[in-house]
Amino acid sequence: MAIRSLRRTRAAPAGEPSPSRVGSRIHASVRGRRSGAVSIQMLVILVTVLFGFMGFAVDLGRLYLIRAELKSAANSMALAAATQLNGTDAAQGTASTAAQTARSSSGGFELRYDFGSTPVGGTSGNFGSVVEEPQFFETADGATGLEGTGGGAAATGTGPMRHVRVSVTADAPTIFWRFLQVGQEGRVPIRVQAAAGVSAPLCVACGIESLAVAALDASDADNFGLLAGTRYTLGYNCTGVPQPAALPGATQRLAYLLINRLNDAATTFADEATQTLRIGAGGLPGSTVETRSCVNVNAVESVWAAATPLQCNQNRVAAQVTGLLCGLASRFETGTFSGCENIAEIDSALQGTQPDTDVADVEDYTGYTGNGRRVLTLAIVDAITDPTAMTVLGFRQFLLEPVANSTNITPLDNNGRFNALYIGSQMPLKQGRFSGCSISAGPGKVVLHQ
Amino acid sequence: MMAKAPLPDGRGSEPVSEPRASARGFLDRRRRGAIILETAMWIPIMVLLLVGMVEIARFTYTYYSLQKMLYTIARLVGTGQGTNFCSEQNSVTDTVNFALNGGNAEGQPIIQSLQAAQIQVRVERYDAASGELAQCECSATGCDTEAGGRPPDYVVVSIPDGYPLRLSIPGLNLDPIPLRPQVRVPYGGT
Repeated sequence: MAIRSLRRTRAAPAGEPSPSRVGSRIHASVRGRRSGAVSIQMLVILVTVLFGFMGFAVDLGRLYLIRAELKSAANSMALAAATQLNGTDAAQGTASTAAQTARSSSGGFELRYDFGSTPVGGTSGNFGSVVEEPQFFETADGATGLEGTGGGAAATGTGPMRHVRVSVTADAPTIFWRFLQVGQEGRVPIRVQAAAGVSAPLCVACGIESLAVAALDASDADNFGLLAGTRYTLGYNCTGVPQPAALPGATQRLAYLLINRLNDAATTFADEATQTLRIGAGGLPGSTVETRSCVNVNAVESVWAAATPLQCNQNRVAAQVTGLLCGLASRFETGTFSGCENIAEIDSALQGTQPDTDVADVEDYTGYTGNGRRVLTLAIVDAITDPTAMTVLGFRQFLLEPVANSTNITPLDNNGRFNALYIGSQMPLKQGRFSGCSISAGPGKVVLHQ
Repeated sequence: MMAKAPLPDGRGSEPVSEPRASARGFLDRRRRGAIILETAMWIPIMVLLLVGMVEIARFTYTYYSLQKMLYTIARLVGTGQGTNFCSEQNSVTDTVNFALNGGNAEGQPIIQSLQAAQIQVRVERYDAASGELAQCECSATGCDTEAGGRPPDYVVVSIPDGYPLRLSIPGLNLDPIPLRPQVRVPYGGT
């Protein structure tokens, strides 16, 4: 019935002011104002609520993305820096350089952020990113900020720096949140940190020089009776008398044996002397078979079958030992060394090797400035009197030294001798694992913290 | 008072309520129309904003996943042992496939229609003289470890041609946007 009455109302003659018309005029004016009010309301809702929510989807998403990109960039830089932490005085400098190298733009592959649009450390428009100088720490807790000042200034300890922290700060642009309290300047600063360093001692060491040296004192868990900073002559083990003397510059001769890492499945460089040459030149070659490229703590090793110790009075060593020494010599200089020419494929086997950048005779390891090519990681065993049952106790490192008044070692030494400075556990190893033993000291590998 | 003539059903006995009711009904209709018109004006903008928001979030998420995936590949390759980057049959391919489907070959790939061939693993060697990184050649002096080369120094994983992602916003026909994340990590394997 209401509709009918309405129709009749509308059908009423024009000039007559009906109550409904009066009401209509009042409402029309209100409606005009109201329609604008709806738009304003919408705008208010849009800017505050909707823009807030869109900020969550767009700006916060972008923020998290940028943080993830910066984090992976910082991780790479920290890892690159930590690889250089070999305990020398020059290590921090090379580590800082390595961190910058990791983000270098060579080939257009620099580390980037913000959908890969901006290089890390670079700027794009008003938005910039800063890569701070890496900070170095003695302990992992220092690097992760759990210790002391809680992530403050770099520790100024006296011991060797084993850990590094890389911090990257960048501005994340905001689109919707710039209308709100947060990110009002159209940017939100994001800071990420990555900590990397040398890990706990490894139980399985890969890519090391597979030489066994008898511990002087098996009960000494730190150094096995060896003295850090002392120059030893490492000579191939022989039986009987007379025992070879130490080389000039060293007072004590340590006997060593080649651990059997013969790869009888090798198709290239199959010759045994070539295989030991490669071990001498760069450590155990990488292999997908772990037993070929790694040495385990507590494992019982035997000597390289063709290089069993000879009588000392024969005054010679097996061809495999000469191969090893020829390989060690490639750490000082390129080219073929006299007497090494007879080793099969020596030219192609040593083609890729580079000599150390510091080949000087080093008295104090902290003054060594090389790239670590001369650092040898050897297996310390309980005893080498029985060459078929040598139990590996741990790994320790030596710095290869040139012969006195020379720039290289003597590859053709009749007793397989060379001088090396005992340095303990300084250089991080290329690769290895932690499981399977409980040792308190030894070289670690580079790991990311947290 | 013509309109106020009593009606047969007796509603005319309420002379005050009748005009109000009719007036309100009449105005409600016009106001409702205006709101509908305004809403119709707002809807495309709202839809564009909401769909755009969802699509941009999807875009960000996909890029994030790609970036994470490439970083995982780089770290896995960079800590591998005995990886020969120069041979046809190497563990790099396995690593890439692992990253693509999360180790479940029959399962759903993590990112739709991303192929292993799209992902490029490039190895780099640091040149101490120039302080630059250069691509490591497959030779005995380069990174062919089988032929006596040394392992590389850095691994770069990238999608050179980009992973095409099309934003589907109704009413707009957008070209696919190629996503090109890239990651470089130091090589720490043997």
